[in-house]
Amino acid sequence: MNEVALLENYLLVGALLFGLGLVGFFSRRNMIVMFLCAEMMLQGVSVSLVAWGRYHNNWDGQSLVIFILTVAACEAAIALALVVALYQRSGSLDIAFWHDLREDNLPAYTDHEIPEVTDDTPQHWPTLTVSGLEPVHNPEEETHRAEV
Amino acid sequence: MTLDALVRNPLSWGVVLLAFGLWILLPRGSTRGWWLGFTLTMVSLGLFASRMPVIGDWATTGTFAIMAAVTIISAVLTVTMRNPVYCAIWFALSLLATAGLFMFQGAQFLGVATVVVYAGAILVTFLFVLMLANPEGHAFYDRLSWEAPLSAATGAVTIGVLTFALVGVFHPHDQPFAQIPAVEADRSAEILSSEHMAHLGAQLFSKHLVAVELAGTLLLVALVGCVAIVAEAKARRGKRAERSGGALR
Repeated sequence: MNEVALLENYLLVGALLFGLGLVGFFSRRNMIVMFLCAEMMLQGVSVSLVAWGRYHNNWDGQSLVIFILTVAACEAAIALALVVALYQRSGSLDIAFWHDLREDNLPAYTDHEIPEVTDDTPQHWPTLTVSGLEPVHNPEEETHRAEV
Repeated sequence: MTLDALVRNPLSWGVVLLAFGLWILLPRGSTRGWWLGFTLTMVSLGLFASRMPVIGDWATTGTFAIMAAVTIISAVLTVTMRNPVYCAIWFALSLLATAGLFMFQGAQFLGVATVVVYAGAILVTFLFVLMLANPEGHAFYDRLSWEAPLSAATGAVTIGVLTFALVGVFHPHDQPFAQIPAVEADRSAEILSSEHMAHLGAQLFSKHLVAVELAGTLLLVALVGCVAIVAEAKARRGKRAERSGGALR
């Protein structure tokens, strides 16, 4: 196996993962998707580090990736606690709700058009063949929903 | 590099196509042109891949190519899917392929740890919060993006700069063969040894011992921090409920 070619290919994969995560972090508005994209950037760095470790034939790259995993776990825990706290105050995962935190000299952000929310991935549930006797219906039980 | 060389370089076209493709793919009001954006992105990824050298025989190269393609295509879909649950699931696929890439490099422990820690723990926690917070799964803010053209261009230019630097360092003056000297060493005795875990653990607990202790402390601090954030949010909610005279939900 050509070690230099391997290094170059892995560095390209790392750069692509990092750049795609960057695009997602900049453009998505769902807080959870933003954090997924940040994790993706960390993955890109990890791929590069492992490749360098193999090229130099030492363990430092892999050791560093283990620490990246640790920090990513901490970051995810804190981020999710924050997201839940923010969700309880705003009632949505939309990061635009918090645009009050912007700089003084920036204009307020307004949604010019809100797209209609339609279920564009219709679910096709499987149907089961009928078998056995039809049980007695209890309409009260069928329409009951626990409060969410 | 002259302008002429820049125009003839497939990498510059890759950057341009990637910016346009991501712009079309990023969530908007409608899904029109999705396939066009997907095709543009794939073509640009192909242009990037076309400048990369061949690793080894066809089986090795093919294995790597499949894993790299799954990683990158799932990453594109993670960034651009409109349903956040789909984003999380594509991210899981991307992580699995990344674990495969780690295994391919001989980093067995990291491959397993990526699957266990990322796909197993972190991603499932993300999904939990997603389903707690947004159970119906359709929200208007998932169909809008901040400054889609600008952020797509920023990401494409970042990738382009990194790739140009990579190709420029490895193949200066358009030489087909890498100009970086290979580190000649017996990898099967060190990084590819059969006692992978023993070597990695010995390295971790001798050279990086202080860092391991710090990482443990960091995990504890994160735990305390989470509890503090949640407790404070709960206390605030209680106070608000008291003020409005209502009971806690």
